[in-house]
Amino acid sequence: MYFSDIGIISLILASGFAVFTMVVATLGATRELPQFVASAKRSVLTVAFFLILASAALIVSFLTHDFGLSYVAQHSNLAMPWYYTASAFYGGQEGSLLYWALMLSIFSAIFVFTAKRAPAVLVPYVMATLMGIETFLLIVLTTVSNPFVRLPVPLADGVGLNPLLMDPGMLIHPPMLLMGYMSFSVPFAFAVAAMITGKLDSEWLRSIRRWMLVAWSIQTLGLVLGAWWAYHVLGWGGYWGWDPVENAALLPWLTATAFLHSSMVQERRGMLKVWNLSLVIASFALSIFGTFEVRSGIIQSVHSFAYSAIGGYFLAFLGIVIVFSIGLFIFRLPKLQPEQEFDSVISREGSFLLNNLLLVGAAFATLWGTLFPLISNAIRHQTLTVGPPFYERVDGPIFIVLILAMGIGPLLAWRRTSTRTLRRNLGIPALAAAICAAVLPLSGIRDIWANIAFAVCSFTAGAILYEMWRGVRVRHRHGEPYLLALYMLFERYRQRYGGYLVHLGLVMLAVGVIGSQFFQVQQEAVLKPGQQMTIADYKLVYFGNIDRTYPDVEVVTAQLQVWHNGQLQQYIYPGSKLYASFTNQPTSLISITTYNLTDLYVFLANWNGPYEATIRIFVNPLVPLVWLGGIVMLLGGIICWWPQRKKRPISNRVGAGAVPGGVGTLASPPSQQQPVPDRVGAGVVLGGEGTLASPPSPSIESIIGHPNDNKEATT
Amino acid sequence: MRKQRSLLIFLAVVAIISSIWFYVFITPSQQTLDQQMHDVASQLKCLVCQGESVADSPAILSQQMRGVIRQQLQSGKSEQEVIQYFVSRYGDRILLSPPWQGLTLLAWLVPIALMLGGILLLFLVLRSWQSQADRSPLAADRAESVDIEQNELAYYQKQIEQELATEDPVFSRPGSEVD
Repeated sequence: MYFSDIGIISLILASGFAVFTMVVATLGATRELPQFVASAKRSVLTVAFFLILASAALIVSFLTHDFGLSYVAQHSNLAMPWYYTASAFYGGQEGSLLYWALMLSIFSAIFVFTAKRAPAVLVPYVMATLMGIETFLLIVLTTVSNPFVRLPVPLADGVGLNPLLMDPGMLIHPPMLLMGYMSFSVPFAFAVAAMITGKLDSEWLRSIRRWMLVAWSIQTLGLVLGAWWAYHVLGWGGYWGWDPVENAALLPWLTATAFLHSSMVQERRGMLKVWNLSLVIASFALSIFGTFEVRSGIIQSVHSFAYSAIGGYFLAFLGIVIVFSIGLFIFRLPKLQPEQEFDSVISREGSFLLNNLLLVGAAFATLWGTLFPLISNAIRHQTLTVGPPFYERVDGPIFIVLILAMGIGPLLAWRRTSTRTLRRNLGIPALAAAICAAVLPLSGIRDIWANIAFAVCSFTAGAILYEMWRGVRVRHRHGEPYLLALYMLFERYRQRYGGYLVHLGLVMLAVGVIGSQFFQVQQEAVLKPGQQMTIADYKLVYFGNIDRTYPDVEVVTAQLQVWHNGQLQQYIYPGSKLYASFTNQPTSLISITTYNLTDLYVFLANWNGPYEATIRIFVNPLVPLVWLGGIVMLLGGIICWWPQRKKRPISNRVGAGAVPGGVGTLASPPSQQQPVPDRVGAGVVLGGEGTLASPPSPSIESIIGHPNDNKEATT
Repeated sequence: MRKQRSLLIFLAVVAIISSIWFYVFITPSQQTLDQQMHDVASQLKCLVCQGESVADSPAILSQQMRGVIRQQLQSGKSEQEVIQYFVSRYGDRILLSPPWQGLTLLAWLVPIALMLGGILLLFLVLRSWQSQADRSPLAADRAESVDIEQNELAYYQKQIEQELATEDPVFSRPGSEVD
């Protein structure tokens, strides 16, 4: 009896319970048997339990160095420190799938625990869908990609983990990204449930939005961590290479972002239902596609797991997902009529449509570029590469327009905006952009595209900050100190101000990308001791190489002095690590030092004995902003998604008086608030909504900080 | 009157910025040899590595190719000529982005065409929605909605002020929002 036996038994039991859940949940929903639904809930928890057990069995097998287990023997060895040994759990094909299945079951369990928040009709179908996905993963795990296969003869020592993966980044990036991929399953399950039951109301939308925000936040973190890892490990001075695998991770993020915006149109105006459902399904399908692409090795990539047996399964699953979703769509289409009419192009909903076009356009262009080598190979039998220059030229302009739209969009009111308000609101951001456009060229930035991009960024940053400032000012007038006022804005209107924070983070990230894209300087030189190289304001003096040999690894570092503006800053030791078990694959130790938002990135490209080294230096301006922006985005995402405290009972403060134009709203039940034809403007109906739907009392929010309610103008 | 003044300010700002840009960009920018070499090298694919450009790759072959690029640029060739030189030696597979000709033109045209198509579609959809909305019975009061908006807002503003004044700013929590 080995731990791996416990693992395989758990997997089989888990798949049994997953199938059981699907059947029981569906029966419980169709025959209206609450005890069946309750049983399904417990069964979901059981699946989670068995998957935790299986994963624990694999981790214990790693930590006890059970080299009779093929997966352990291939991905670890005795010399590895325990934390890399444990994280080798998801370092290969089989283990990463197990990790995925584990996370899916844990998310399903979280869903069961929070099921009270979701509409009750949907719960069984959501569980059935989630367990359907889980069943697929478990079938793959117990057949083609079983991590618990034993070798006929145990090895004395394992092969070890790929040295590129022996990095702190390994401990956080892959689990985050895999979890991000997985987390699109929950919104997908909600979409399926809604299509089956026909319940696509505001309550449904609130649930699916929260889960989508969670998925979005995880995926954002995964992407930023991936970029950070690449920057610190790969030694080419960049962080995003438009590699097929990176693209695959970006695609669902783009469609999820599009959904988060267009769902607001549905929330407020009851439009775009079909489109929103398609975006949810697309996000999930793209995450499955990404997995297929990575695992099948059909497209060359630095990340390849290079196992093709499993690709077919994922392709088949992708096909099932698409056919199933389209079938449900056709079945449900008659119910998906918009509830309200469109008013004006110059409105918040108009800008969201533009935002969606740009995001989906970028997603399509990226997908097209990723797949194009396959198409060209099929037609002309010619291999070609679609690399960074392609994406920079196609996606770059889209993203710049997107950032511009991000600045203008929040300034527009729902339904329609009068040109006067618009002009007033655009003044300050336009001023910011104008100053930026005038000052930067004079301060030596000579690239026209970089100037345009920076001006756009300052416009949008100006728009967001001005918007926040107006909210703070209104509250300050009512006696709150500035800091408290800012805190209260975030505390009360989480989605709105969390969203602004995300936008601000994205602008910071964009500034970092623009800076490093246009103004990276690099130099390479072969140095002998005492020689120096100069780049920008930096001077590096080379002293020699240090070679240290440990039992399993050899570390060569070059010693250099960094001088900045004529002053000695510090010593740096860029180097290279050579693991005994992977002698043909040295990993680099890159020295990155930051001076005033500029990274000095030094890479030991080659060396010859103790007295000669080839040094590559990159000066990467503004790159730290990329990481900072990523953190701000994540923070904003979490603020949007963080659960609110218990809701207050019905309050009548704003009261009936708030709805002079639409008294009818008061009588209608909460679930039908959306379609009310609002005659007077968004703020009004919201005031009415707040009074009857106990949960939100958004009346203040809809006025404070709202574009067309500047105080001077209205009093 | 106010409208005119803001228009004038706007035009003045545009004029100032464009004159600065014109002044700055009309003076030919001197790209250093290193930058030119990087530009060329980042268009070429490293043939012995996976998914890296010649500019980024630490491989020996790429180092040599960078040397060749530098030499050719020094001898007065343009960036395009250097790229052509490598294409004639290694074929299209050395390019990192598909060339603008033949089948590979599709790689560029399809996304651009779809983007333009998307804009057109968006425009048509919006127009038909708007004309639908104009024909609907609600259209009449929509015209005055902007005026009403202003009055209503004054009313709500007052209400909000009262609300805020009576509320303890720290301990009250009105629940969720809609945005």
